[in-house]
Amino acid sequence: MFQTTPTILEQFIIVLGYWDRLLSGFVVTLWLYGWAILIGFFLGLFLAILRQYGGWFISRVSTSYIEFMRGTPLLVQIFIIYYVPLALNFPVGSWNFKTNFLLAGKNITIVLLNQQILAGIITLGLNSAAYQAEYFRGAFMSISTGQLLAAQSLGMSRFSGIRNIILPQALRRVIPAWSNEAAYLPKYTVIVYFIGVLEIFAQAHNIVAITFISLPTYLIVAVIFLITISIISKLLDIVHSRTRIPGL
Amino acid sequence: MLRIHNLYKSYDDLEVLKGISFELARQEVKVIFGPSGSGKSTLLRCINMLDPPDEGEIFLSGQNITASGINLNSVRTKIGMVFQHFNLFSHLKAVDNVSIGLRKVKKLPKEVAQKKALEALDRVRLKDWANHYPAQLSGGQQQRVGIARALAMEPEVILFDEPTSALDPELIGEVLQTMLDLAKSGTTMIVVTHEMGFARAVASEMIYIGDGVVEERGTPQHFFTSPNSDRVKRFLNQLNTLYGTHEQLLQTGDEENYK
Repeated sequence: MFQTTPTILEQFIIVLGYWDRLLSGFVVTLWLYGWAILIGFFLGLFLAILRQYGGWFISRVSTSYIEFMRGTPLLVQIFIIYYVPLALNFPVGSWNFKTNFLLAGKNITIVLLNQQILAGIITLGLNSAAYQAEYFRGAFMSISTGQLLAAQSLGMSRFSGIRNIILPQALRRVIPAWSNEAAYLPKYTVIVYFIGVLEIFAQAHNIVAITFISLPTYLIVAVIFLITISIISKLLDIVHSRTRIPGL
Repeated sequence: MLRIHNLYKSYDDLEVLKGISFELARQEVKVIFGPSGSGKSTLLRCINMLDPPDEGEIFLSGQNITASGINLNSVRTKIGMVFQHFNLFSHLKAVDNVSIGLRKVKKLPKEVAQKKALEALDRVRLKDWANHYPAQLSGGQQQRVGIARALAMEPEVILFDEPTSALDPELIGEVLQTMLDLAKSGTTMIVVTHEMGFARAVASEMIYIGDGVVEERGTPQHFFTSPNSDRVKRFLNQLNTLYGTHEQLLQTGDEENYK
């Protein structure tokens, strides 16, 4: 009944005893991150091309989207995307797609997709696209317009010039700046906690609720993020140096 | 072969071309010169419709390329262009810079395009540099790749936009020599340049453009002995003082000591 307070080391060990929860949360976080960065990449590239080369009207439309997404809080965006369909009585239903496996004697169930996770992926993807678009636009602008003129002078269409000449160079040049987004986004995924997705932060919160050990729990989460993002950065560095243009 | 009739071009309030007309026969080399800002570069960009003129017509082999509904991309394959700042594709090797037009525009199979690109590089004496990237080449070499890139498309005419004015003096000679070789082998060329030695050697006609109009035209002989206008005289004198004619850079005979 009179339990002594566990030492710091013991606290860490107790929290790590819930590794199955941390693992499943981590998988959900990575899952959200992977989809969001992928959607953001392609949509962002598309937006950047429209903004840079789209002509007066299309460029304005793309710019408006980017400014709206960058100018409003992510939390509001996720509430809009999650709650508006519910408020309008769309038949979103209750469904999920999960995976189940046994690891080191623990039965681990991870929900990979339900309406909350879908809303999270869409929001993070749409939001990331706006930021990624601006990184891409910066890279497009750094490539001399003369190269596009030269491509056109050979008879390439403007589109073909963008696709064959500008894009291969822009994608190489964007990596250092773009790695910012790659490093930010894993931490932004935490926002889905507010609509009840069991990602790593929600799991940590649950562990705190069970064990009453807070600081060590969040420190462990911080270390997990630190390691993950370091690996992402290193990978991007490797890609950057592998795709370097000789002589530049 | 190329007929330019009464071209006008303005940017906002600035009227750059004010009614330019001339014609170019097959295998002719025309040199255009004049003070900076007089519209020479704009004229070239109008000719290949990278910057379409506001008024006037351009006929290429009888076809009016300023008419609406013309496929400009296919027109541009017939008009090569060499740029002042080379504008090579930095992510491609020299040989790929030359072959990309053949592959993406003329849709030639890779091996054929590669072979033709190497032939073009050979004509500018850069076959040994085929696998270098632009940033690994000197300015003069880059410009010769630029020439090979235009050449490989087998255009009817090649436009040169001040091809040597961004180069260090010691690199000008190799580019001029390459252009001289092309001129002598019968390439139809319009060259905007201040290299009067080059003009004297190969131009069939020189056109002085001042303030967006053709101020004086004639043979090199005419310009170097008795130009009509005082402005032209003064301009030629200035060129001579500033740059010289670079004549010593050009070997107009068949000497083999050029490398």
